[in-house]
Amino acid sequence: MILRPGADDIRLIAFYLGKVLLGLGLVMLVPTVIALFAQEWNSATAFVVGASLCIIVGSASSARFATRRPLTWAHGMVIVALAWLIGAVFAAIPMYLSGRFGDPLAALFEAMSGLTTTGMSVIHDLDHTPLSEDLYRHLLQFAGGQGIVIVVLSLFAAGGARIASLYVSEARDERILPNFIRTARFIFMVAGTFLVLGTTALFLALLGAGFTPARAIYHAINLFFASFDTGGFSVMQSSIIYYHSLSVELIVMLLMMAGTLSFGLHFALWNGNPRDVLRHLETRTLAITSTLFFAAVAFGLLRTGTYDSTEALFRKGFFTLVSAVSSTGHQVNVGDTYLTDWGVLAPAAIVGAMAIGGMASSTAGGIKAIRIGIAFKTLVHDVKRILLPESALVVTTYHAGKRRTLRDETSRAATTVLLLFLVTHLFGAMVGLLYGEFDITQTLFESVSVGSNIGVSIGVVSPEMPHGLMAVYIVMMWLGRLEYVAVFALMGYLLSLARGKAKA
Amino acid sequence: MTRRDAMPSSPRRRGRTRWYLVTPLIGLAIIVAGVVWLESLAPEVDTVDRRVEGVPPLAMPDERACTRQTGEGVAEELRDAFPQGGRIGSTQVHLCPRAFDGLGVTYVGEVIGEVLPRRGGAWVQVNDDIYALEVGPLVGHREQDGFNTGMSVWLPDGLHQQIEAAGRPGRRGDVILVRGTLHQADPDDGGGITVRAEELEVLAETIEIDDPLHVPQLIVAIVLAIAALATVAWSRRTARRA
Repeated sequence: MILRPGADDIRLIAFYLGKVLLGLGLVMLVPTVIALFAQEWNSATAFVVGASLCIIVGSASSARFATRRPLTWAHGMVIVALAWLIGAVFAAIPMYLSGRFGDPLAALFEAMSGLTTTGMSVIHDLDHTPLSEDLYRHLLQFAGGQGIVIVVLSLFAAGGARIASLYVSEARDERILPNFIRTARFIFMVAGTFLVLGTTALFLALLGAGFTPARAIYHAINLFFASFDTGGFSVMQSSIIYYHSLSVELIVMLLMMAGTLSFGLHFALWNGNPRDVLRHLETRTLAITSTLFFAAVAFGLLRTGTYDSTEALFRKGFFTLVSAVSSTGHQVNVGDTYLTDWGVLAPAAIVGAMAIGGMASSTAGGIKAIRIGIAFKTLVHDVKRILLPESALVVTTYHAGKRRTLRDETSRAATTVLLLFLVTHLFGAMVGLLYGEFDITQTLFESVSVGSNIGVSIGVVSPEMPHGLMAVYIVMMWLGRLEYVAVFALMGYLLSLARGKAKA
Repeated sequence: MTRRDAMPSSPRRRGRTRWYLVTPLIGLAIIVAGVVWLESLAPEVDTVDRRVEGVPPLAMPDERACTRQTGEGVAEELRDAFPQGGRIGSTQVHLCPRAFDGLGVTYVGEVIGEVLPRRGGAWVQVNDDIYALEVGPLVGHREQDGFNTGMSVWLPDGLHQQIEAAGRPGRRGDVILVRGTLHQADPDDGGGITVRAEELEVLAETIEIDDPLHVPQLIVAIVLAIAALATVAWSRRTARRA
C-alpha cells in the first residue's frame, strides 16, 4: 500500500530545500562583488535580485519549517530531485535579467546546463558578456560539479548521517570516508588543491600565449571551473580554439581527465595507492573504450583526409575525444564541421564516447564506465554459465576499491540505468527529428551530448532552437545528472500524494 | 501496518498538505512573472550609429552545407562560383570549409578578446556577426541574433600593430578588413580553420558603449536586499528561540 506523505514530510522537504536555496544565494554574491568591482551596475543589481530572492525564500523556509526529524531515503531523493529543478529556476533569474536570453526558458536552459555541468549554451553575444555574468555561469558549474546539495548541506546542516541519503541521491554513491561530511570535505579538498595547481598552470600557459596578467588570471579561473568540473562553458564563443595554444590544450586535457576520475580514486592517489587506480574496473573500462574510440576517430579522420598531420589529429581528434569521455564539452572545432568535415566514423565514435562518459562519483556525466564494465562482466558471466556444466559454480569478481563479487542486483542496477540512458538518447533524437530541421546524425549527436551532460555540440543547440526541443533537453539534462533514480522517486512521491492512503 | 494506521486523515490535515503544496507553486509563479516584468522595463538605446559603413557585400550570398547528403558536388559548385579575393562570411566557411581551402578571400569583422602576439605575428579572433557589424554589442538594446560567429585570423608583424583595441564587455573593438588565404586545416594552428592575412584595413575604430542604468531593477534590488536581511534576522531569531 502506498502511503500519502503528510504535511510533516512536506515541511521536512521544504526545510532542506530552503538550505539549498540559501547556499545558491551565497553563490550569487560572489559575482555580485565582481560586478561592483568592475562597475557592471546592471549585472550587480541582477545578482542582488537573484541572491535576495534565494535568501528570502531559503531563510523563510529554514525558519518556518525547522525540524529535527530524520531524513528517510524517500525524502533524500525528493529533496535532491527538487533542489536541482528549483535551484535551476532561481539560478536562471540573474541570467534572464541580463537581457542575453530570448525568454525565461532559454535562461532556465543555461542555468540547468551550468548546474548539471552539461555546458551547452544558448546565450546571445557571449563575447561581449560582462565579466561577472561570465564568472557566474562558470561558478554554477563548480557548484553543480561538486554536487550543490551535498556542498550546501555539508556546510550548513548538522549530522553526517542525516544527509547520507542526499549524498547517494545526488548520484554520488561511493562513500570514501566513513562519515559523509568528511567525504564531502575531502571532495572539497581535492577541488581546492586542483584549483590552485590548475589555475596556476593555466595562468602561466596563458601568459605564454600572449595574455596580459589580469586577463590571464580571469581566463584561467573560468577555464579551471569549466575543465575540472567537466562543465564545458567557455569565456569566448570559439571555446578552446580561441587560445591557439598547445600548452593550454594540454593543461585543459589533464584537468578534464582529473575531473573524470572518481573521488574514490583521487583518495587512493592521495594516499599513495596508484595500484588501486590501475586495478579498478572503471579505470580499465575507460582505458579500453577510450583507446578503441580514439582508434576509430583517428581512422575516420584519416580516411576523410581532414587533417594531414599527427599534431592536428592529436589537437583536434584526441582533444575532442577527451572532452567527450570526460563529459566536459570543450570544443576545438566549430560544431558544423563535425557534420561537414569529419565523415561518419569519427563523429560516431565521439557519440559512443559521450554515451559512456566518465567515472561514477566524479563530476563527469554519461552512463559511466563502471556500469559498462559491470554490464560486460555480466555478459561474460552469463556466457560462462551456459558453457560450463550445470553443476559448476560460476563466480565473477571485479576490483572496485576492493575485490567484489558480481551480484545479480548489481548487474540489474547497472543495466537498468544503461538502458534508461539509451532510451532517453533515442527519445531526444526522435523529438529533434520531429522539427524537420535536422537530420538523424545531428539529433542523435546532440541528444547523447545533452542526455549525458557532455556539451559537445554539432549545432542543434542554439539560441534559435525550437522551444519544445529546448524544454525536452532541460529535462534530459536533469535526468542525466541525477541518473534517473531521484527523479523517478520524485514522480513516485507525487503519485503517492495524489493516490496514496493517508498516514494515521 | 494496521488498518487503523491507513485510515484517511482528517480534512483539516489534508487541507494543510494541499496548502503546503500549492503555496510554493503560486510563489514561484509570482517570482517568475515579476522577473519577466522587471526585464521588460530595461532601458533601450538606438543602435543606428553602431552600424559599420564600407563593408563590401558577400561575394556569394548562399550559405550551403556540404554534408554527406549533399556530397562533394556542393563543395565543387561553391569553389567554382567563388570569385578569387571576394568577401566570405564565417558561417559560409564553417558550413563547407573544403570549398574555400586555399582560396584568396576578403574577410571583415570585429577583433574580439585580445590580440595574442606570437613569433612573427599575432592571432586574433575576428567576429562577423550582427553584433560586430550592425547593432554593436548586446548592451542597452534587445536586437538578439544568436551566437557570435567568427574565424581565427593570423596577422603577420606589421599588420597587428594597426589594431587599437579588441572588443570586450561594453566595447566594440576595431572592425577590420583583411585580405589573405583561407586554410581548412592550418598546420601552424594544429589543424584549425584560419585566414592568413596579407593586407589589413581598419574599417571602424573601437567604440565604448555605455550600458544605461536599469533604474527599476536598482530599486527592486535595494528593496529585496533589505527584505533578505530582515528575513535572515527573523530566521536567526527563530532558530535561537527553538
